Amino acid sequence: MTLTARLGGAALFAAAVAAAAALIHFAVVLLVPVVAAHDAYARLAELGPPGTTAPLPRAGPDERRFPWNDPALAASFCRFDLSAGPLRVKASVGRAGFASLSFHTRRGAVFYALTDRAATHGQMEAVVVTPAQLRNLVAHDDEDDPSQDLRVVSPTAAGFVVMRAFSELPSLYAAAADEVKAMTCATEPPTP
Amino acid sequence: MTLIVKALAAGAIGLALGVAVSGSILADPPFGAVTIGAWRVAATAGSLDADPYTRAALARSGEIPLALGEGLKLVARVDSAGRALDRRCLYRVGTRTPAARYWTLSLTDADGYPVENAAGRYGYRSSEILRDGDGGFSVYVSALAHSGNWLPIGRVQTFALALRLYDTPLAANAGGIEKSSVPTIEREGCA
Repeated sequence: MTLTARLGGAALFAAAVAAAAALIHFAVVLLVPVVAAHDAYARLAELGPPGTTAPLPRAGPDERRFPWNDPALAASFCRFDLSAGPLRVKASVGRAGFASLSFHTRRGAVFYALTDRAATHGQMEAVVVTPAQLRNLVAHDDEDDPSQDLRVVSPTAAGFVVMRAFSELPSLYAAAADEVKAMTCATEPPTP
Repeated sequence: MTLIVKALAAGAIGLALGVAVSGSILADPPFGAVTIGAWRVAATAGSLDADPYTRAALARSGEIPLALGEGLKLVARVDSAGRALDRRCLYRVGTRTPAARYWTLSLTDADGYPVENAAGRYGYRSSEILRDGDGGFSVYVSALAHSGNWLPIGRVQTFALALRLYDTPLAANAGGIEKSSVPTIEREGCA
């Protein structure tokens, strides 16, 4: 075998390796969100059943489930499954400091958020619905007395809501933690 | 026969290489983030239209991202001169932040978790920090205790600084944040 042929064979082999590596790489990137067994939703599932509010552990050196959580914020969450009906989320806000609700898909992406600036009478409230539930609700709306509900359409039937509350001082963390624990999430009765 | 063996070998090496490369790329996804001074901000990381790399990184890390309407998270792994943050050095971080209702500056390990330290200090809030006469601030980041706002490095080899801006009007246009408005990270000296 000549030197040129050997080099050509080696180049072909290298090209095959690179092609296989690139293919595998793109497959991994696209498949990770689908098959990730330990994403945020799965980690939350270890901390509380769906349809109930549970506190998110405070960020600290010994708490290694949720990276990039801010120790200055208290947080709670509620996992939901809209197949049983829309989910009504209510949270009271009254302290000095920032508070917010964020609505996440099953994969963790945010599809809606509101802050205490959007609160009315000290309450942040929203109804999470599927597109079909929204159509149903709109069809049953009273034209003379339209619903005041803030309806948020979730792209996935399963997902989770997170409430965050900022503590202005370390000594005020407990009050922020109480505020997020008081968030309620309840499945609405199905519309007739 | 040798062709099949070679093809299988190429496939196997490619598989290992592809998995290894994916792992390292997803540890710090390359797209969707902008650099502002020493800081990196991936404003749309948590949104529905995040790129596939960012989505995969999120699924793997388990992070619950901030929504744009809630605020922004800026992460620095280097100082203002572009040198990797080093636990043997003293850094002065300040003196301004972009406009926000509240901000926090905290220290984490490379993965985003607070680092154990004897002072139990993981970060500072805008509402608790000691300020200069003109309203600016300086946070001293070092392993050894420092006067003023001291952020201990703790027992960790590589660390990062996280600046969070809550309820900020800049969220909609994170790429437009002025370099002059973010805190600088000045290396004051090294042991």
